[in-house]
Amino acid sequence: MSDTYQPDGMAGSPPRLEVRDVTVRFAGLTALDAIGFTVEPGSVHAVIGPNGAGKSTCFNVLSGVYRATAGSVRFGEAELTALAPHRIAALGVARTFQNIALSPRLSVRDNLMLGRHRLTRAGFVAAGLRLPSARREARLHGERVNEIAAFVGLAGRLATPVGLLPYGVQKRVELARALCMEPRLLLLDEPVAGMNGGERREMAELVVAVRESLGISILLVEHDMGMVMRLADTVTVLDFGRRIAGGPPAEVQDDPEVIRAYLGAASGSGEAAP
Amino acid sequence: MSDKPGGSVRILLRSAVLVAAAVAVPFYLEGFWLQAGLFAMSAAVGAIGINLLTGATGQLSMGHAFFLAAGAYSYVYFASDPGPGLAGLGLPTPVAAVLAVLTAGVAGGVFSPIAGRLKGAYLGIATLALIFLGQHLLFNAGPVTGGYNGRPVPPMELFGFAFADSPALVVAQVPFGALERLWFLGLAALVCAALFARGVLTGRPGRAMNTIRDHEIAAGVMGVPVARYRAGVFVLSSMYGGLAGVLLALVFQRTVPEYFGILLSLDYLAMIVIGGLGSVAGAVIGAVFISLLPQLLTRYSDALPLVAEPGSGGVSPAEAARILYGAAVVVIVLFLPGGLLGLAGRLRPSPNRRIASASTAEKASLRPSPETRN
Repeated sequence: MSDTYQPDGMAGSPPRLEVRDVTVRFAGLTALDAIGFTVEPGSVHAVIGPNGAGKSTCFNVLSGVYRATAGSVRFGEAELTALAPHRIAALGVARTFQNIALSPRLSVRDNLMLGRHRLTRAGFVAAGLRLPSARREARLHGERVNEIAAFVGLAGRLATPVGLLPYGVQKRVELARALCMEPRLLLLDEPVAGMNGGERREMAELVVAVRESLGISILLVEHDMGMVMRLADTVTVLDFGRRIAGGPPAEVQDDPEVIRAYLGAASGSGEAAP
Repeated sequence: MSDKPGGSVRILLRSAVLVAAAVAVPFYLEGFWLQAGLFAMSAAVGAIGINLLTGATGQLSMGHAFFLAAGAYSYVYFASDPGPGLAGLGLPTPVAAVLAVLTAGVAGGVFSPIAGRLKGAYLGIATLALIFLGQHLLFNAGPVTGGYNGRPVPPMELFGFAFADSPALVVAQVPFGALERLWFLGLAALVCAALFARGVLTGRPGRAMNTIRDHEIAAGVMGVPVARYRAGVFVLSSMYGGLAGVLLALVFQRTVPEYFGILLSLDYLAMIVIGGLGSVAGAVIGAVFISLLPQLLTRYSDALPLVAEPGSGGVSPAEAARILYGAAVVVIVLFLPGGLLGLAGRLRPSPNRRIASASTAEKASLRPSPETRN
C-alpha cells in the first residue's frame, strides 16, 4: 500500500520553483511580460500587485490552466509549461482558487477525498465492484483526511455539504483539499479575500502552521499587505504584467516603484486595498 | 440516501422488503403489468447509465438511443442462427448478451475521443449525429438489422433454462411464461447495474466525475485527467445503454428500428431530470415514472377525459403521456431541482442534517506531518 501512498520524491525538501521570462498574451493583450522569480525550497514567497497586475494569470500558468506564450517554469527537473494540469498535480503542486471551486453538493469529506485522487488508484471497475483494494484504499486515505480536517479545524463538519458552510469555512475547505494532495509546492490564490479580521488571523496562523509542520514551499497571492509582510520571506511585485520589484518584504515596501504602483499606500503596514 | 453505518440495519430491512415485494409480483400481476414493469426495468438500467454521464459528470448526451440499439441489435445478431437474407452467429445467448454489452461499449469507445474533448451541451449536439447514423444503419444494413421489419429476438437461455413461454412451467399454481421468467432476469440485471453504479458514484471515480461537472478546472488541477474521465464515463454509460437494449429486445421479442429514434433519447433525459440528476435512485424513479405513465394512460384511456383510444383520432395515450411529462419536466426544473428523489428527501426529516448542525467544529491542533503517511 505504501507505494501508492507515498509518491516518488516526497522525502526530503521540495524542489526549487524557477519562473523564467514567462510571457502570456491573450489576442493582443499582454497579461504577463517576461516575468521571473524563484521560490526557494521551504520558503513562503508572495506575489503582490494591484488588480489586473497578472497575479492570477501567473498562477494559472504555474498550474497548467493557461499556456505560456514564451518562457519556462521549472519545478525541480520538470518543465511545467509543457504539462497538462493533472500532470502538474502529479508532481505535487497543489493550489487553491480565488473564487471557491468546491463541489457544493458534496460533503466536506468527499471534497477532501478528491484531494487524494492523485495518491489513489481505484478505477471504475474497482469502485463499481467494491474490490477489497478499493475499500482498503478508501479507508486508509479516509484516515489521513480525518487528520488533515482536524488540523484545519473542520473535524466536526466532514459530513456537511460544502454549500451549506459559511464562506470563511469554505476557504478553509479549499486549503484542506490542497493539503490532502500532500503537496510539495502549495499555491494559495488570495486565501483571505473577503474574510473578516478574525477569519484572516486564523487563516494566517494556519498558513504558518502548514509551513512549520510540513516544510513545503508556499507561493501566495494576496492583497492583504499586513498578511504578506508577516508571512512572506520574499516578495515579487507585479504591475501591468511586469515585475517591478522583488526581494525581502522590508525592502520591497520602501521601493519607490511599488509605492507608485499602489498609489500612495506608502506605509506597508496599512491595507493596500484595491 | 443514507450511507450512515447506524442506518445500515434499516437499509438492509428495507431492501429485504423491496426484494420480497419484487419477487412476489409475478405471482399476482397479469401479463400487461409484468410487461410494463419489465420495460421500466430496462429503462431504469439505461437511465442509470445516462445519469452517470449527464447527471453526475455534466455531459449531455442525445445519443443514448443509439447505444440501446447497438445493444439490442448486436444481441440479436450474435444469438440468431443465420437465416434466409439474415446474418447471425448463432452463439449461446448469455455469451451473445455479454458481447452485445461489450459491443455497445466499443461503439461508445469509438466515439469517446470526441466525448472526451467536448463538454456539456456541445457533446449533446455532437451525439445527435449518432441518432441519425443509427437510424440510417438500422434501416439499411438489412442482413444484420432486418431493415424496416426488424428481427425476431431469440429468447435467452441460461444453463438450459429458457426465458420463453415453452416449455411450460408452473410455479405455485401460477403458469410461468416468458414475462414471469424475464421478470427475475430483469430484476437481477437492474440490481447488479444499480449496485455497480452506486459503487462508482460513491467511490473515487464518482468524486472525480462530480468535480468535473461542478468545476472542470479545479478537477484538472486536483489531478483528475478530465478528458480521460469524460471518455471513460461515456463508454460506461454506453454499456449501460447496451444492457438496457438487450433487456428491451428480450421483452419486446422483436427489434423495431424506428423505436430507437430521438424521442427515446429525449425520454431518457426526461427520466433523469424528473427522477433526480446524478443518483442511481433518481434514475430508477424517473425510469419507472416515464415508462409506466403511457401504459397507465393506455389502460385507463376510456375512463380519462381528453384521452382517446389509440387510432381514434383524438389525443392518443402516448401523446398525452408526452405532454404530461413535458409538463412534469418544466415543473421539476422550476420548483424541484432535486427531482422526485429530492422531493422524497425533503418530505422526510433528514437525520444527517441534524447531526451535521449539532456538532459544529471543535478546533483541533493536531499537526499533519508527511511521516505519518502509510
